[in-house]
Amino acid sequence: MLNDVTFGQYYPAQSFAHRLDPRLKLLMLIAYIVALFIAKTFYGLALCALFAVFAVFISKVPFGAVLRSVKGVIFLLAFTAVLNVFFHGGENVLVQWGVIRICLEGVLFAVFLMIRLAFLVIGSALLTLTTTPVSLTDGIESLLKPLTWIKFPVHALALIMSIALRFIPTLIDETNRIISAQKARGADFESGNIVKRVKAIIPILIPLLISAFRRADELGDAMDARCYTNSPHRTKYKKLTFTWRDLVAAVAAAALIAGAVLFNVYAYDIWPAAYGYVVML
Amino acid sequence: MEKQQTAGTTPQYGSEIALAFENVKFFYPESQTAAVDGVSLSVKRGEFVSIIGHNGSGKSTLARLACGLLQADEGRISVLGLDLSDEKNVAEVRRHTGIVFQNPDNQTVASIVEDDVAFGPENLGVEREEIGRRIEWALESVGMTKYRHATPSRLSGGQKQRIAVAGMLAIRPDILILDESTAMLDPRGRREVIDVVRRLNSEAGMTILLITHFMEEALLADRTIVMNRGSIVLQGTPDDIFENGEALTTYNLCLPEITEISRMLAAGGIAVPPCLRPEELASHIAACAKERGYSTLASPRTPRAAAPKNGAWDIDVKDLSYTYSASSPFASHALRGVDLHIGDGEFFGIIGHTGSGKSTLIQHLNALIKLPQANKKYKPPKLKKGQTPPTMPQITVGEYDLADKKCNFLSLRADVGMVFQYPEYQLFAETVEEDVAFGLKNFFKDMSAEERRERVRAAIAAVGLDPGEVCGKSPFDLSGGQKRRVAIAGVIVTRPKILVLDEPAAGLDPLGKREIMELLHKLHSEWCRTVIIVSHDMDEIACNCTRAFVVSEGRIFCCDAPHELFARYDELIPLGLDVPLTAKICRALGEYGIDIDCDYTPRGFADAVIAAFKGGRADA
Repeated sequence: MLNDVTFGQYYPAQSFAHRLDPRLKLLMLIAYIVALFIAKTFYGLALCALFAVFAVFISKVPFGAVLRSVKGVIFLLAFTAVLNVFFHGGENVLVQWGVIRICLEGVLFAVFLMIRLAFLVIGSALLTLTTTPVSLTDGIESLLKPLTWIKFPVHALALIMSIALRFIPTLIDETNRIISAQKARGADFESGNIVKRVKAIIPILIPLLISAFRRADELGDAMDARCYTNSPHRTKYKKLTFTWRDLVAAVAAAALIAGAVLFNVYAYDIWPAAYGYVVML
Repeated sequence: MEKQQTAGTTPQYGSEIALAFENVKFFYPESQTAAVDGVSLSVKRGEFVSIIGHNGSGKSTLARLACGLLQADEGRISVLGLDLSDEKNVAEVRRHTGIVFQNPDNQTVASIVEDDVAFGPENLGVEREEIGRRIEWALESVGMTKYRHATPSRLSGGQKQRIAVAGMLAIRPDILILDESTAMLDPRGRREVIDVVRRLNSEAGMTILLITHFMEEALLADRTIVMNRGSIVLQGTPDDIFENGEALTTYNLCLPEITEISRMLAAGGIAVPPCLRPEELASHIAACAKERGYSTLASPRTPRAAAPKNGAWDIDVKDLSYTYSASSPFASHALRGVDLHIGDGEFFGIIGHTGSGKSTLIQHLNALIKLPQANKKYKPPKLKKGQTPPTMPQITVGEYDLADKKCNFLSLRADVGMVFQYPEYQLFAETVEEDVAFGLKNFFKDMSAEERRERVRAAIAAVGLDPGEVCGKSPFDLSGGQKRRVAIAGVIVTRPKILVLDEPAAGLDPLGKREIMELLHKLHSEWCRTVIIVSHDMDEIACNCTRAFVVSEGRIFCCDAPHELFARYDELIPLGLDVPLTAKICRALGEYGIDIDCDYTPRGFADAVIAAFKGGRADA
């Protein structure tokens, strides 16, 4: 049932994007999202899209794998588009059919939102496709480090994430085993109504929970035996380091934001005639 | 390794005694009986001590007390001269003791080997560069340097345990405790871990406490301790302990198989001194032969009974292949073109190391994994002219054709009962009765409550439990052995014609193992016509199975009766498998010119030796 789950969606490859510092990649994603949201024009949006397409290109991740992530939100995309097409007012009426009125402005705005949302998803997907969950955790821990100042348990949080990641494959295996065992005793998980199906999960859930607690107990002992304390004197073996690649990428991200702002400001000067159709917000 | 160890952080507590217990008692909360009851014990630095005892005898509690994971209720424990009753010393004691537990999956915290090994030193605040050196050293000590950047969940059990050992080594302990660390491993994994432990003891002078159920592991120690009901009841050199077989049986342990063989030989007129290793027994037998003037001996060849004939119920597997995650980069071939035929009424064995594909194979037998053409969505590939259709795997089990989409898979599963590894972990219901009835409710929806009750009780009685006593209890209140029996009852309750068990005796103590095998024989004669077991324990296979099948890397290595199978000694060992004790003795005897042909059961072996002596002629 859960056999084909390869955890996360990391796509193993050796590329410029894969080798970037995870902290920088997280910051770049934030910059990219900011750029997407401050861009008021199709010009800015096009710049972001170009940036994303180029990033996908150098990451050596197949475009198909990236587009698959958009498939998950296709319903949401369609919904926003339809809503805007019908309810966004405007002057250039394209279709008038009873109360239903479709305007050019509405269509353009719907397209604008769809592109923005789709590229938002593509950007985030690219991060998880090029970064292992482990280094992502390291990156998050490192970025949150300043929060230790306000007594936020950054290290504990990172350890929790790391252990969770570590146990996901183990628990998936375990779930498969329990499902098989109960199926061998005639359990049926695939037919019947909702109530019946939920009930059918109990023989999986209870053994799984019990086993998770047992594992947690044993892991706790193993951690104690390895002298775990949540003391500030802990050291860290893994050190994240910035390289020239990271510098290049950081400059690119800064340029992206600057570009989005510039397009907002100079949208009229680029092509005055198209101004009304290009600026959306 | 030695140099690094002494250059490390060996403490200056001048004590020559690594570990001292003085009249220690420990009670688990809400328990009236002491788990450890008045134990006094002293272990010298560099000593290798093995601890044996039945499940629940207090071995694990002792181990946890010794490394400061539990606090003694009474008595005094000191580790390297540090008194553990003083809270302040606990952290220091943990720095100097390492413990490796049973389950290889529950001891790693990180998804990458080197990060996991780094965890201990990070906790101790060791500098970065030094952590790097420790990782290197620890991985080298356990022979896992190659796997520094690997993911633990993709490693084998033996490799995972070696990583757990490395994780402990990285804190530079003086004492290493292994709490049944080999119990869940296959023979190859066990060898790997034990080799590491022996090296650490002999080369790095590390003090070792090895808790185990396997006699051959306990024999490696300088001293063996026997525990029973929380107390130390015997202590001495391993040879003294195991040669004193009678005492072991009074403490819920088994007589070593080799002692049983010696006794059978003595009863047959071949008196051999007590011994524990196959080579020794062989040399004693050879000495006996020499004394009587025989220079060569051979047991008479007895014709073997042919493999059972095909009956109405048999299993036929043709050309079975299976690939996991076929379309992903992680694709792995679990099975490649396996043919298998199991006859009616057989007690059949399946042998193979972890990951050899045996679990995948048995899950095909009750269609938990369906053949591709039996899936509803399957469409045969379109053929061009002149192309022959690809051959598809075929499985028939009795009258069920598993390649047929219309096959009644539910009814198949009622007829082919399957007990998974550690089946007690699949119990879920509030009462034993409900849990056992689960299968009946699923398979026979129209059955009356009265009949169901009768069937459940019959199944519980069949696994050797008292229905009146356990039916109303929660399955989680039972002991480990009882839980396993309840889980087996939950499978046989549908009265399957074929019963498949994946390592039914795993993790049990020797007596528990023996009892489970006896139970299976009883079920074979009274409940199920055919029994199939998957096992690592070759003695178990030799003593119980009519035929066995060895699978390696997804292919059949061979399929034969035990006496043919284990004669291929030299081919089995490289596959990561073991051979029965009797096969080892036979091999050692061969070097003395004594040729024993037997079925590799202890009885069969002893009889063959006795027969060889009777038929022997003095050369002089």
